[in-house]
Amino acid sequence: MDSYSAPPMGGVSPSPEAMMEQVKTQLAQAYAEEFIETLRGKCFEKCITKPGSSLGGSESSCVSRCVDRYIEATGIISRSLFSKQH
Amino acid sequence: MDPNLANNPELLQFLNQEKERAMVNEMVAKLTSVCWDKCITSSPGSKFSSSETSCLTHCAQRYMDMSMIIMKRFQSQ
Repeated sequence: MDSYSAPPMGGVSPSPEAMMEQVKTQLAQAYAEEFIETLRGKCFEKCITKPGSSLGGSESSCVSRCVDRYIEATGIISRSLFSKQH
Repeated sequence: MDPNLANNPELLQFLNQEKERAMVNEMVAKLTSVCWDKCITSSPGSKFSSSETSCLTHCAQRYMDMSMIIMKRFQSQ
């Protein structure tokens, strides 16, 4: 199921600029989807400890907080790695 | 493949930059995953405690320190 293929271009080669833009867009989409998949895994693990017949209120709010915290954690890790403060 | 595109220096530089960006992104993603598991032991709150924040900060740095030790040890075998 490849959603990242470029559509067929007839007989004309895309300009380098158009190709770069297309690659950038597809990469951004791929990163976002990968991140969301990680969020699903982490937040299901932390918040849905015993799946019931529906999602409880506390489970839903846990998931919302989990998303916010994980995004925050990504920033903390990123800054920790890229500003040398040992 | 179009030979012009293969020889285009701007495009090659762009691809190298994106490759590096992808590697950085992968490292941050992996570290965040590992450090989240290590440091966020209870249900996520509406903000991190200061100990959770220090743990996350330290976790990334210690992981990189460990990585150095592993490389040196491995290369000395």
